Amino acid sequence: MSIKEKGYTHWDGELESRRFPWSPIMRSGIRLTFKKKFFKLFFFLNLIPAVVYLAGIYISERLEDFEFMIREASMPFKVNPAYFNSFLSGDYLLFMIVMILVFAGAGLIADDLKHNSLQLYFSRPLKKRDYFMGKTSIVFFFLLIVTLVPGLVLFLMKLIFAGNFKFIQDYPWLPLSIIGYSVLLTAFFACYALFLSALSRNSRYVAVMTFGMYLFSDILYAIFNGIFRKPAFALMSIKANLQQIGAAFFGVKLPYDVPWMYSFVLLVLFCGVAVIFLSRRVRGVEVVR
Amino acid sequence: MSIEVNNIKFSYGRIQALDGVDLSLPGGAVGLLGPNGAGKSTLIRILLGFLVPDEGDGDIFGFDIRTRQTDIRRLIGYMPEDDCLIPGMDAVSFTSYLGELSGMPRQEAMKRAHEVLYYVGLEESRYRLLQTYSSGMKQRLKLAQALVHDPQLLFLDEPTSGLDPQGRKEILELILDISSKKNIQILISSHILSDIELTCSYVVILDKGRIASRGEIDALRRMDYSLYELRIKGGKETFLQDLNGFGYQIEEMEDGLIRIYVPSDRTPRDILETAVGRDVQIRHFVRSRSSLEDLFAKVVGAD
Ligand SMILES: Nc1ncnc2c1ncn2[C@@H]1O[C@H](COP(=O)(O)OP(=O)(O)OP(=O)(O)O)[C@@H](O)[C@H]1O
Ligand SMILES: [Mg+2]
Repeated sequence: MSIKEKGYTHWDGELESRRFPWSPIMRSGIRLTFKKKFFKLFFFLNLIPAVVYLAGIYISERLEDFEFMIREASMPFKVNPAYFNSFLSGDYLLFMIVMILVFAGAGLIADDLKHNSLQLYFSRPLKKRDYFMGKTSIVFFFLLIVTLVPGLVLFLMKLIFAGNFKFIQDYPWLPLSIIGYSVLLTAFFACYALFLSALSRNSRYVAVMTFGMYLFSDILYAIFNGIFRKPAFALMSIKANLQQIGAAFFGVKLPYDVPWMYSFVLLVLFCGVAVIFLSRRVRGVEVVR
Repeated sequence: MSIEVNNIKFSYGRIQALDGVDLSLPGGAVGLLGPNGAGKSTLIRILLGFLVPDEGDGDIFGFDIRTRQTDIRRLIGYMPEDDCLIPGMDAVSFTSYLGELSGMPRQEAMKRAHEVLYYVGLEESRYRLLQTYSSGMKQRLKLAQALVHDPQLLFLDEPTSGLDPQGRKEILELILDISSKKNIQILISSHILSDIELTCSYVVILDKGRIASRGEIDALRRMDYSLYELRIKGGKETFLQDLNGFGYQIEEMEDGLIRIYVPSDRTPRDILETAVGRDVQIRHFVRSRSSLEDLFAKVVGAD
């Protein structure tokens, strides 16, 4: 390591003001996540539900070809809004989303806290908002790929397999529900992930918490419901709340006997608290009073 | 004047870190000298807008430090005091990433990252993961990221901490190169006088949140006060009070030694005459070395 003769040279370019100053944060965050061990393989696994549901749509359209397997009368499922609801708010997909957050979300802020890098961000022309937008967009990228994208693809494939537009005439609002619910799900999980990530400097703890809180809230519901037999305890479970809202978005029967509005308000409140907490926690200098 | 601040006060809860700082800094390299806890880092963080002063205001390049932070941060590079990195990155992606965040186009940022890493002497390890860096390498890396977007003003907070003598010399040479030949203004904080003497032409001495002294280093060095050390017997209180009245700075050491800083327009005769007048016996009277080091020691009250 020796000093070079050349000396310091100026850069003769010009700094630009980006429309989205946070775009480098998103890009590098996605790249770093994909560099993690096993993440690619794991992320690929998340497309399994989409493939299964796609197969379902195919089978339902080609029943005559599959008659040796199922008789029409006993067709176990119908492709309708409930089908899409069960894809987007099924236990498996929600669980996989939480696992993605364990990989991609836990370190988002925790690592910056641990390695003092917030000051590097905030000594640049970035606002706090830009920082959060960048970090949030990383979560959005991964979650929309496993929710919104396959949701819309399934819808399209249904039309293509059917060969007519009857499906869209029957449910013209369905694409909006898919978009709306995917975005809501993703927005909630983004708040969830960033909130937990800012709680600790240790991304391993955060990973455990991300997973643990999701599971624990559901177990809590199961315990209380077991004792008191009151469906209102479903409000304690993250999963149940999301499934309530999903059912409302897709106009199917609510899985728990509580108004879905309660779940919605709860999640919005959670996100509000998360945002307030984050904007206090994330700053150029951590002031210890 | 690129940096001007008036009466900045700041406290972390009950710790008053800055207690009325006024500054108006000339161009070139300015040293911010002070012992641990003097408030150097706090001042820099206020200039960067990380902390909002409780009182006072200021501007950098004419931009208000309270309201125009984004404009200011376009023009400055900041080398923080503590280690910082982004895990999972190598030096090239780290440096170019931060360049991009400053607003450099992607390709240019990448090219420039290689240049500055070469400049700070990290070219051989630029593709290594940052988590594996030694603290000296992290120090160089921090300098590289502060330089990547070619700022007009650099804030370097303790740039030589954690470096071996050779590394320290090299970093100081870099800083000198940047400030003297390249027309970049630099504010360097340090508690090591010789770092500042080597790189700066102007120094601000900060102590306990206040400015203890400031000026051109040469002028301060020339500043012709003389330091006398004496031991006396009897009537100390009144004797020292009288001397204080003459405008002498006085320091009492623990072992009874008294140090008196006599300004150049006075002579030590006053001391002797006062002693005679007050019936004080002088047991020991030596003229001591006086230098910037003494000035530093004097203003911060350390030995
Ligand atoms: N983040 C913080 N939270 C609370 N108090 C702080 C914080 N940072 C500094 N302080 C306090 O403020 C005072 C000034 O600290 P500052 O870091 O500005 O000093 P400094 O001159 O940079 O010292 P050093 O040479 O050790 O870096 C100290 O008393 C310190 O304890
Ligand atoms: Mg400091």
